[in-house]
Amino acid sequence: MSAPWLDVLDDTIRSCVTHNRPDLAERLREQRARQLDPKLRVLVLGEPRQGKSQLVNALVNASVCAVGDDVTTTVPTFVQHAETPSAALVRTNADTPTERIPVPIDRLAGELRAGRVDRLVRAEVGLPRALLTSGLVLIDTPGVGDPRPARTASTFAALLQADAVLMVSDATAELTASELDLLKRAMASCPNVVVVLTKIDLATRWRHVLERNRGRLARAGVAAKLIPVSAALRLRAARTGDRALNAESGFPELLACVQRDIVAAADVLARRTVAVTAASALRQLVVPVREELTAHGSPVAVARLNEAQRRVDELRRRSARWQAVLADEMADLVSDVEYDLRDRTRRILREVDRVFETADPARGWDAFEEWLEDNLTEAAAANFAWLLDRSRWVAEKVARSFPVHRDDLLPEGVFPPDVLDRVAKLDKPLIERFTVGQKLFTGLRGSYGGVLMLGLVTSLAGMPLINAISLGAGALFGGKTVLDESEQRLRRRQAAARVAAQRHVDDFLLKFGKDFRDAARHIQRSLRTHFSTLADELQETLLESARSARRAVQEDTTARERRTQEAKRELDRLVRLYQRVQALGDERAAPLVLSA
Amino acid sequence: MTLAEEVRLLLEQALAVYRDSPRAAAWLRRHRSRLDEPVRVAVAGASRAGKSTAVSALVGEEFVPTGAWAWYRDGTRARAVVGGHEVPIARRDGRAFVDVGDAERVDVEWPARSLRDVVLVDTPADAPVEQVYGEADAVLYLTRHVGSADLRYLRAAHDHPVARAAPVNTVLVLARADEVGGGRIDALSSARLIARRHRREPQVKPLCQQVVALAGLLAAAARTLRDDEFAALTALAAAARVDLEDHLLSADRFVGEDFPVPLPAAARRALVDRFGIFGVRLTTTLIRQGFGTRVQLTGQLVQRSGLAELREAVGAHFTERRDALKARSALLGLDVVLRNENRPGTAALAAGVERVLASAHDFRELRLLAALQAGRVRLPEEQAAEATRLVGGLGTSPAARLGVERLPGDELRPAVLDALGRWRERAADPASDQGARRAAAVVVRSCEGVLAVS
Ligand SMILES: Nc1nc2c(ncn2[C@@H]2O[C@H](COP(=O)(O)OP(=O)(O)O)[C@@H](O)[C@H]2O)c(=O)[nH]1
Ligand SMILES: Nc1nc2c(ncn2[C@@H]2O[C@H](COP(=O)(O)OP(=O)(O)O)[C@@H](O)[C@H]2O)c(=O)[nH]1
Ligand SMILES: [Mg+2]
Ligand SMILES: [Mg+2]
Repeated sequence: MSAPWLDVLDDTIRSCVTHNRPDLAERLREQRARQLDPKLRVLVLGEPRQGKSQLVNALVNASVCAVGDDVTTTVPTFVQHAETPSAALVRTNADTPTERIPVPIDRLAGELRAGRVDRLVRAEVGLPRALLTSGLVLIDTPGVGDPRPARTASTFAALLQADAVLMVSDATAELTASELDLLKRAMASCPNVVVVLTKIDLATRWRHVLERNRGRLARAGVAAKLIPVSAALRLRAARTGDRALNAESGFPELLACVQRDIVAAADVLARRTVAVTAASALRQLVVPVREELTAHGSPVAVARLNEAQRRVDELRRRSARWQAVLADEMADLVSDVEYDLRDRTRRILREVDRVFETADPARGWDAFEEWLEDNLTEAAAANFAWLLDRSRWVAEKVARSFPVHRDDLLPEGVFPPDVLDRVAKLDKPLIERFTVGQKLFTGLRGSYGGVLMLGLVTSLAGMPLINAISLGAGALFGGKTVLDESEQRLRRRQAAARVAAQRHVDDFLLKFGKDFRDAARHIQRSLRTHFSTLADELQETLLESARSARRAVQEDTTARERRTQEAKRELDRLVRLYQRVQALGDERAAPLVLSA
Repeated sequence: MTLAEEVRLLLEQALAVYRDSPRAAAWLRRHRSRLDEPVRVAVAGASRAGKSTAVSALVGEEFVPTGAWAWYRDGTRARAVVGGHEVPIARRDGRAFVDVGDAERVDVEWPARSLRDVVLVDTPADAPVEQVYGEADAVLYLTRHVGSADLRYLRAAHDHPVARAAPVNTVLVLARADEVGGGRIDALSSARLIARRHRREPQVKPLCQQVVALAGLLAAAARTLRDDEFAALTALAAAARVDLEDHLLSADRFVGEDFPVPLPAAARRALVDRFGIFGVRLTTTLIRQGFGTRVQLTGQLVQRSGLAELREAVGAHFTERRDALKARSALLGLDVVLRNENRPGTAALAAGVERVLASAHDFRELRLLAALQAGRVRLPEEQAAEATRLVGGLGTSPAARLGVERLPGDELRPAVLDALGRWRERAADPASDQGARRAAAVVVRSCEGVLAVS
């Protein structure tokens, strides 16, 4: 069954070909391919032991994710459609990016628990399920708030890839402050969130908790749906075929919500994206045709030819300008943001020095490490956010210096659909405010986001900081050393601690600095590609006008009249196509201007 | 001089030095009288961790939770004091209720054997860590799952020079253990395994003396089990398992329609409120297994809920260590005064505090225990276990130190002498490192202490 948007898109592509615009056709074909591979990533998020893994199992009625009384989930698990059940462990290697190790599906949970495979980054499960055929991918994640930070980091890396989030909190207690924080953090990168209240079989007062949670969400200004479920009841109902119990489990509602708010919403989004791109292409096709119709007699045709020529030259001249603006602004951006990063770390180091003027590093070193890690992470996050903000600003500035001949040059349309990822696109109000930064961020995720968080953790873990300080085991319980520390040894320890902290911060700067410069380069590249594509298209449109003007100058009257008739028919066709495009979704495209 | 006497003397000297400062003197007098009280155990933790429920279970009486600091002491009659005035203790749904209003603190005197050796303090969720550890001599820290926020809290509690010199006073409680495993029938044994894992964890070990799992709701219900409840539970257990099974699947089902046992919905609602659905499943199973009398059932529940183990931990780590804990609190209190008000005598007093901290054998034992737990002192595994035991890590009675079950006195001596000999050798063994030799010296001194009383 081919979707209506697909027919419209195919017709538009054909028109682009007939009108001699292979560039536009190519762009639409890419768009078409992307829309036809609709992976919808639904991230299951929450603190440990809230029932995330069990929820995924109950959604697909199979025991594929490890469930346990203690912390069990160690890497994200991707559950998606497959003709036959299958499973694999995915790990990174030093030279190749990733390696897939197939495992029997019933052994997956055990393998994950045993932790025999090193450097695992995720597990993948394929299951033949109707729920998943629409392209839905359920991602079970390690709990957030687990004291082992590497696991949490992988969850946040996965969050950057999510199209929707199921936030899980069990009904034995109300949403805590830290859960609300997590929820807000999730919504910042993916606004399509549903809160699932699990274990309602176990909690005597789950209705009360549900009400209180509603109030809490409302007060926090979070417009998320809340759905109470019991995975235990659902799994039992599946085993015994008990329909009443299945209804009590709350899963029918949850599945309906996933279908309606996630799957269906994604389709609306696909249509909207298609409408925007197709409308833009059609508007460009119309320009030369319209000009052809306004040309009467050869003096006019000659004037038209001159005008077209002039505009092509003008475009070439102004292209140099926007390229210069982009290069300059990005150079400024890199140096400013780098300065900001150094300044932030300098302030951290000053604090370290101040502390170790008096404090003894032999005490509370663990807490200090944590403090340092927290502060560096915060510096990195703030710095990165700033990078995104500035990039958006640069994009706007470049757009202003661009030869403005197109209405989709306005900021919300600045980025071509290849940076238009579907993440964060389901909730309109949020997108409009964050468009550029958000899109860039999503363009970078995978590559950058993961490095940001994981890179940090490993650099700390591999650091032999504690060895830098001789602790002298006896000192901690032997007589005099308890309060009365030999001054000299204390000074030595303090110096060692300062050096260790400095070295760690240097490592951090080196690593994060590189990541950050890569990100900036990536941003510059995608901005350049975007504006160059626009410029090329613009030029092609102008050249096509010039070509048709030249033809008009050369042709005789009867031929010209025949061509005018043809142009009229063609314009009609394009207008009808444009109307069909407009009818897709709720797209309010600008009316197509017909008269000159 | 014993530790208690030394500390009391220091306080007296401080009172003399600070007699011109009413604030310092009042503070010091409070600390002096605190020396004579039973150990104060605060129950701390996040909101709804189950603190008030755990206090009810320990006292053996259900109190309606208040948002205030609630102090429970033994007394000759039940009475409650709020803001200096006695207020009535009412009954609400079978629970003891005190109208606290918006007061910050309520003092309850309650005649109970369980309060003979401890004062229990139920703390509000947002109580600052310094205040909790300042008011109490020891802390039961409750959490449902050990997370980074809990570790941060406990680290903060140790962040004081005196506290670090005597790191001794926290038991970590994995609360609401019945909810582990989503209420599977083996939830409690699973919770015990998790507690055991935490005991070995390097992040957790240095921050507490023990980790125990507690199903507080079940324990409290067991200790206050009423006749009508027992009758209802027995009636449930008498029904055929297959008939009941579907109605025990969820709390909703348990209070739903078509119930196979003639129990009104209101009674079932009350039962599941008090025991939880897990508790209802467990009690009926236990009765079916033959624990059919009230005494038997209560005994089983106290054991399985982890209450028995929690009491043991409070005994071994808090009440038996009363002298050390009391001295520690007093020195912490004295330290506050010395830091805040400088007098000609302050330096001498500070030196006194340091001397007691460094030389008192009780504290040395505790520091060695902490060092062993945190792995700062490395001994071969067997030796580490023996050292832990001998310095009182499993309880400070001579039998507990020697790892024997209540031996008659005359059999104890040879065992002590044997241990003493071995550890003397280790203390003088030039082949081992200084840390190990000092550790051995502490153990030797502990053995000598046991010898003196046996
Ligand atoms: N299932 C279960 N619920 C408990 C347990 N302990 C407390 N609760 C419930 O958790 C809620 C909060 O308990 P409370 O003791 O007042 O927690 P506090 O805020 O830490 O004092 C109440 O609804 C209790 O019934 C337990 O061991 N098991
Ligand atoms: N009774 C009950 N238990 C559940 C439910 N969902 C999960 N659990 C239990 O809660 C515990 C933690 O579940 P898990 O899915 O591993 O949590 P995760 O850490 O969030 O992935 C396990 O012991 C599960 O059996 C539920 O709906 N009802
Ligand atoms: Mg899990
Ligand atoms: Mg309370």
